[in-house]
Amino acid sequence: MASIMESVLSKLMNKNVLFTVSFLVRLILVSFGVYQDRTMVVKYTDVDYHVFTDASKFITQGQSPYHRSTYRYTPLLAWILTPNVYLSHVFGKLLFITCDVLSGHLIYLLLRQRGLSCEAACRVCSLWLLNPLPAGVSSRGNAESVLTALVLATLLCLELRQLPMAAILYGLAVHMKIYPVTYALPIALSLQRKENGEEKRVGWWRRALGFLLRLLNKELFLFAGVAGVVFCGLTVLFYNMYGWDFLHETYLYHLTRRDIHHNFSPYFYMLYLTADSPWSLALGLAAFLPQALLLLLVSLAFHTDLALCCFLHTAIFVSFNKVCTSQYFLWYLCLFPLVLPRLTLSPKQGVELLALWFAGQGIWLAPAYYLEFEGYNTFLLIWLAGLIFLIINSFIMVQIVTHYKPPDTMQRLKAE
Amino acid sequence: MFVFFSTCTVYLVLFGSTQADENSCGLSITWLETVSVTMDVSKNGFHRDLVTTVDFGPGFPDGLEALLVHRLPSGIYIDQYQLASLKEDTGLQVLLGSAVDLEAPAHTSEEFIVLVYPALEQGSLKATLPIHGRYHKPSLAGKRFELVEIKLPKLILRSDTCTQLISFPPYKIVDAPCTVHNLSICQWLEIQHLQEQDPVSLEIPLGDGSLVEPVCAGTLIVTLLCCVILSRSIWRHGVF
Repeated sequence: MASIMESVLSKLMNKNVLFTVSFLVRLILVSFGVYQDRTMVVKYTDVDYHVFTDASKFITQGQSPYHRSTYRYTPLLAWILTPNVYLSHVFGKLLFITCDVLSGHLIYLLLRQRGLSCEAACRVCSLWLLNPLPAGVSSRGNAESVLTALVLATLLCLELRQLPMAAILYGLAVHMKIYPVTYALPIALSLQRKENGEEKRVGWWRRALGFLLRLLNKELFLFAGVAGVVFCGLTVLFYNMYGWDFLHETYLYHLTRRDIHHNFSPYFYMLYLTADSPWSLALGLAAFLPQALLLLLVSLAFHTDLALCCFLHTAIFVSFNKVCTSQYFLWYLCLFPLVLPRLTLSPKQGVELLALWFAGQGIWLAPAYYLEFEGYNTFLLIWLAGLIFLIINSFIMVQIVTHYKPPDTMQRLKAE
Repeated sequence: MFVFFSTCTVYLVLFGSTQADENSCGLSITWLETVSVTMDVSKNGFHRDLVTTVDFGPGFPDGLEALLVHRLPSGIYIDQYQLASLKEDTGLQVLLGSAVDLEAPAHTSEEFIVLVYPALEQGSLKATLPIHGRYHKPSLAGKRFELVEIKLPKLILRSDTCTQLISFPPYKIVDAPCTVHNLSICQWLEIQHLQEQDPVSLEIPLGDGSLVEPVCAGTLIVTLLCCVILSRSIWRHGVF
C-alpha cells in the first residue's frame, strides 16, 4: 500500500501531470458547483460571483456597474466578465481557475529561478495546486486568483529584472486591490544600487545621504514611472467613465471601511462598541500604527528577499487590519510556497504551526456560528477568539522569521 | 366589459337586496369574516423566515388574488438579490417598496414596505419571506438582546374576474400593483378585522456598551504586545 502511494506521488510530482491534475480538479469543482446550484437550496457559488455578473450585465446595457449595490471592485473586473452575459454564466469561474493554476505555474518558475530542482519545485508548488482552499475559492467564483497571479507575475519579472513588465503588472495589481501598494517600499529598497564597499566610519548623515542616493536611482524611477502611468491612466479612464462612484467604491470604501459586523479582526468588537463615539477616529489611528510600524520594519529587514518581505507584509497587514475575512488569507498564502524552501523548520514543526493556524480559525468560527445562526450573545467570546487568533498569527510569523535562512547562508552551509 | 358590468350590477341588485349581505365582486361579508392571517418567525439567529398564512372558510372565490402588505421595522432587512434567486427557485413573489441598504445598522435605517403575493398551498395562502437582523447599537444598560417587533401585515384582496370593486364599510378600497411584475395598478379591498394577533418578535443579540473600556484596553494591549514581540524578532533576525 505504501509503495503504491509512493509511486502515485512520484508520478504526480511530474510537472505536466501536476498541472493537468490540478486544473482537472478545479474543473470538476466548477461542474459540481453548477450541479449543486441547480439542484440544492444551499448554493456552491459565492455571492460575490453574482455581484460581478450583475455588474457585467449593467455594463452590457451601457450603464455603470456601480448600479449593482455592494459591487466594490474595479470596473475592469466587470468588463473582463462580460462574456458571462454574452457567452456563458460559467466563463468567469473558468477564468478564475485558470488564473489559479497560472499562479501555481508562476510559483514553480520563481522556485526554479531561486535554484530549486524541478522535482523539489513541484513538491513545493503542489502546496498551492493541490490545496483545497484556493481551489475552492476560485471555483466558487471569487476573483482573488486574478490578483495572486498579478502579484506573483510582478515578483517573477522583478527576479528576472524585466522592470517595465514588472511595473505594468504592479500598476495593474494596485488598481485591482489596494493592498499591493504596501509592496512599494520593499520593491524600492530591492531596486537600490548596491553599496560599493565604502568606508564604514562616516557620520550618520553621510550614511543616510548615501542610502538615499542609492535608493533614488534610474531603475526605481523607471519602475515608479511605468507603474504610476498604468495606475493613473486606469484611474483617469474609469473616473471619466463612471465618475465619483468608481473612486468611492473601488478605493475610498476600503480605506475608510468601518465594518461593525463580526469578522476575524482583533479590533472588531472595539470598533463595534465605539462606532458612534467621538473616540472612533483616535482608535482607528491607534489600530493603524502597529500595522504601519511593522510594515516599515519588515521592509527594511527583509527587502533582500522580496518574496519573504511581501509575504510578511501581507500577513501582517491582514492580521493587524481593522477588517479581516477568510478571503484575505489567500493574499499571503500564495507567497508562502516561495518562502518555504528557505525555512529551517522541520516538517513536524510545520504541521504543528499549520494545525495551530486552523485551530485559531476554529476557535473563532464556533462562537461566530452561534451568534449568527443560533442567536446567542457570544460577542465577548468572538472578541477573545479574535485576540487569540492574532496571538497565534504573530507566533507563527515569529517562528517563520526565526527559522529563516538567507540564500548565501544556505549555500555556505551546503558547502561546509 | 359592459356585459360583465351589467351582470355584476344585476347580481348585486338581486342578491344584495335579498340578502342583507353586501357583496363586492363575489366577496361576501360572511366569507370575508372567515379570513384570518397568522404570522410566525422560524429559525434562529440573524437569518430568519417570516411565515405568513392566510386561512379562510369554504367557498374560495374563483380568480381571487391576495396581497400581504408588510410594514417591516428598521431592525431587520431583506436581501433583494436573495429574493430574485428565490423567485427562480421557489416561485416566491415579492415586491420591495424601495431599495434596502444591506449593511447599515438599525439606528440609521428606516421602516420599509414589502408586498408579498402569497401562493395557494394546501388549502391556505402561504408565503415564506427570508429576513435578516441588522446590527443594533450596543446597549449601555447590560441588555443582551434587542426585541424587534413585526406587526401583522395588511391583507388586501381583489378578483381577477371582476375589476369593479365597490367599497363597503368597514372594508375600504386601496391601490396596489396588480401582480409582482408591477406593470399596472389595480384596486384592492382591504380586510380590516385582522389586527387581533399580537405582533411577533425576534431577539437580536447586542454588543455590551458597558464593557467599552475593558474591550478597548484589552484590544490595544494585546495588539501592542504582539507588535512589540514581532518587532523584536524582526529586528533580531532581519538582514539589514
